[in-house]
Amino acid sequence: MPRMETVQVTAPDLARRAALERSGQRLLLVAGGFALLFGAVAAKLTAATILFPLAPSKAETAPLIPADPGLATPDSSPTIADLHQPRATITDRNGQILAISLPMAALYANPREMIDPVDAARRIKAVLPRLDEALAIARLQSGKQFVYLEREITPSEELAINALGIPGIYFEPSEKRRYPLGRVAAQTLGGVDVDSHGVAGVEREFDKRLATDPRPLRLSIDVRVQAVMRDELEKSKEEFKAIGACGIVMDVNTGEVLAMVSLPDYDANQFGETPPDDRFNRAITGMYEPGSTFKLQTAAMALDFGTAHIWDEFDAAHNIRIGRFTITDYKGKHRMLYLPEVLAYSSNLGAAHIALGVGEQKQRLWLGAMGMFKPIPIELPEAGRPLYPPVSNWKEAATMTIGFGHGIAISPLHVVRATAAVANGGYVIQPTILARDPGDPIPERRIMTPATSDVIRKLMRLVVTDGYGKKADVEGYFVGGKTGTAEKVGAHGYRKHANVSAFMSVFPMNAPRYAVYFMLDDPQGNKETGGYSTAGQVSAPGAGRVIARIAPMLGLFPDTEHEAQIQAQLDIPLEPARGSGEPTGTGSPLLAAAMAETAAAPAAPPRHPLQALRHEAALIVSTRQADAATR
Amino acid sequence: MLTEKRLLRAEPNFGLLTKLLRVHWLFVALLCALAGVGYVALYSAGGGPEPYAWRHAIRFGFGLVMALSLAMIDIRILARLSWPMYALSILLLALTLKMGHVGKGAERWLDIGPLQLQPSEIAKVGLAMALAAWFHRASYERVGNPLFLIPAALLILLPVGLILKEPNLGTAFITAIVGASIVTAAGMRLWQMALLALPLPFLATIAYGHLHDYQRARITTFLHPESDPLGAGYNIIQSKIALGSGGLWGKGFMQGTQAHLNFLPEKQTDFIYSIIAEEWGLVGALALLALLLLILWTIMGIALRCRHQYGRLLALGIATNMFMYVFVNIAMVTGAIPVGGVPLPLVSHGGSAMLTVMFAMGLLLSVHVHRDVEFLERRDD
Repeated sequence: MPRMETVQVTAPDLARRAALERSGQRLLLVAGGFALLFGAVAAKLTAATILFPLAPSKAETAPLIPADPGLATPDSSPTIADLHQPRATITDRNGQILAISLPMAALYANPREMIDPVDAARRIKAVLPRLDEALAIARLQSGKQFVYLEREITPSEELAINALGIPGIYFEPSEKRRYPLGRVAAQTLGGVDVDSHGVAGVEREFDKRLATDPRPLRLSIDVRVQAVMRDELEKSKEEFKAIGACGIVMDVNTGEVLAMVSLPDYDANQFGETPPDDRFNRAITGMYEPGSTFKLQTAAMALDFGTAHIWDEFDAAHNIRIGRFTITDYKGKHRMLYLPEVLAYSSNLGAAHIALGVGEQKQRLWLGAMGMFKPIPIELPEAGRPLYPPVSNWKEAATMTIGFGHGIAISPLHVVRATAAVANGGYVIQPTILARDPGDPIPERRIMTPATSDVIRKLMRLVVTDGYGKKADVEGYFVGGKTGTAEKVGAHGYRKHANVSAFMSVFPMNAPRYAVYFMLDDPQGNKETGGYSTAGQVSAPGAGRVIARIAPMLGLFPDTEHEAQIQAQLDIPLEPARGSGEPTGTGSPLLAAAMAETAAAPAAPPRHPLQALRHEAALIVSTRQADAATR
Repeated sequence: MLTEKRLLRAEPNFGLLTKLLRVHWLFVALLCALAGVGYVALYSAGGGPEPYAWRHAIRFGFGLVMALSLAMIDIRILARLSWPMYALSILLLALTLKMGHVGKGAERWLDIGPLQLQPSEIAKVGLAMALAAWFHRASYERVGNPLFLIPAALLILLPVGLILKEPNLGTAFITAIVGASIVTAAGMRLWQMALLALPLPFLATIAYGHLHDYQRARITTFLHPESDPLGAGYNIIQSKIALGSGGLWGKGFMQGTQAHLNFLPEKQTDFIYSIIAEEWGLVGALALLALLLLILWTIMGIALRCRHQYGRLLALGIATNMFMYVFVNIAMVTGAIPVGGVPLPLVSHGGSAMLTVMFAMGLLLSVHVHRDVEFLERRDD
């Protein structure tokens, strides 16, 4: 029961009550403001959902191959502008513009026709404020017959200067190259110089074609895929504080490169002011040790040449000593491993034994056929030359370390191409940056039997379902892949804590369509990865996210309905079930071809003494440190 | 001197049971409903209870226990903690600047053992508590005195400045608004506010020059989202497509293609509302908006019902914070304002935000339980 009591009401008490009264009114004022803004939000919501709904943009719903690529065919009636043909547009595979030339004019003068250079410069300056007057006067007084005053002026500025009526002032048509998407595919596109001559990337490779043929050049790049890859690489690069990153998406059946990202990158419009480090295209210029992603090659060549059977066992219990060097396993099992286990647990020892079985001759034959000894044959001038030991030095030790991806340095696109070959039924394809039309011949060569490719696909799937690649799995897409963590070579041999962590994946494994490569350069492990910066921890999740995002864009939908069925087809046990047996290499196309032309020896490594010396040095370093090498 | 008869507050038998009975259970039910909406939306976003929905439920349960425990603590004790709380939040902000890490280029986090904190979230609650304490005893005349307002302005500017430096534009703005709402309610003269508001456009122009590239990109993107469909504009466009594809009645639970085919990034955090709008349509989206409005309405009711200035101002600060979350988030996903990385309270996935929101809700419940208590005068002024 509340008690009644007499209390004194003091002056401050009253003041407080007045303040409460006032704050009550003000409260309602604020509440009114809330209500108003709430109404605005509700109205905006209504507009966005039913009044003016935004449909997916045309680029997103467009068919992968546009009906008519020749949309910029010039007007048939010749005009003066036609005398200067603008540089052709570059588009992505869906017709989205990547590079375009805007018509401009260049302002030049013949100083000998000048009456009063100082006055002329002053008057031009009045309509063209960015003109450097002093420089212009100096040029106009030079006594030459031709001087540029300004390379890029707009049509309206041209009109204004023309109206000044200064004798000796002339215009010539020029153009300005613009890259509307900025950073997207900057390194691939390259750039042009002031005279609109390509100096890097696609602009340089197709310089003549772009200058002479006005039809747009359609690249194989899909900007949506490119943007997703860039986005995910950027996120992972930041999350793991990596110094760089690289990502590639390639069609494993046609060789078309849908995305090629190298970070750090730059705004393509600022090509001239960009430091060379940012222009560096890691995907084709960067040479990295492929690390464990190479074990797929070792397994494939052993199975196809018939030097190993899928249920052969390999000694992963004993470290291998060669001279002063030791090969060990990272988180080793210390027992005999079956071939599928060698891949699932990424055993260096197992891979070394398999490679030893293949032998150096056949290993070189295979790698040569895969194009590992030459710059990747893509239409880009920046393709770099791989590093590998010379024949004289390619002995047992090299064979073993190369078996698990050390002692050889190739570009990420080399890895993608070789992995595509073992997954797509056995064809080495020529990668391309240009869109292929349906029916275009695809330059390809059979390198292995379809049966071997089938086994490799199952093994790649096994790595994701049971091995180190678990974090890359995306439900319904049957992702397969292989991790690869290689230590970076620094000034003093391998650097223990500097990795290149890559995940090489292909999906869907039941009918391979796309290869996705996701690499971080020098990532730092964090709390979530338990401090590890290995590929399975830092790169596999990124690859999975990329696949989850790009697959629907590319028209592939997750098949969860038949999941169990499809997975059953792809299953391969870690250890042999009783009586199981897989076909082994009979009729390797590569061996047959090699025998047919007995004279055809595998591509010999370079004989240049300096280069040979470098390979030798790299090999020694790699063998010494091979114990901590791959996982 | 006047005398007056009035009810003595029922303090002698203000036991735990009484307190439990005085808890605003309707409000608690509304919060549960909101978290339930979050569970359903996150269930859809994650394609099942894992990985988001289940954790969301656990966190909410934990937060609810914390809030109810807070509600049992006398508001006068909490009020005495205002200044330490403010000092702590400033300390955390300063610490974050020194050693926090940047996530996704925007927010700053502080790692404390297993806990990841966003000190700017705590700072908003700390600011509301400190301002409420500052104005608690002030008479209307006193609030009109500019000299009395200057410390309050400094109280606001200190955290706002630190958050701006992080840099987190959106949260700094919200913090400033939270402060402004309390000062407004405390009785600052309207002409003074007008005077302060005048130079704002000028300051904004200067501020634009000091923005980070990504922040400018957001503003440009807001003005022309189509100018950068693959970069900064991507989220907004995909979100708007999600809203548009939902239409009036929505596509149905778990049927949203934008979300399930991964066209919409960050769908479980900042863009959860897009999922709701896509799957439940305008009807569902408006229903959620109504629920949020009801919650705000209740908080305002708690503020008005409170018989002491501290509780009232604190409740208003929390209401403003909550409102700004909702407003900025929904305005963001509908493309009305630039993307700002602000979650939808109790619906978006995220532990740190949930914790701070539930802490604020606990304060609010305590304000309501102790709505009639009398603050003892240390001395009259």
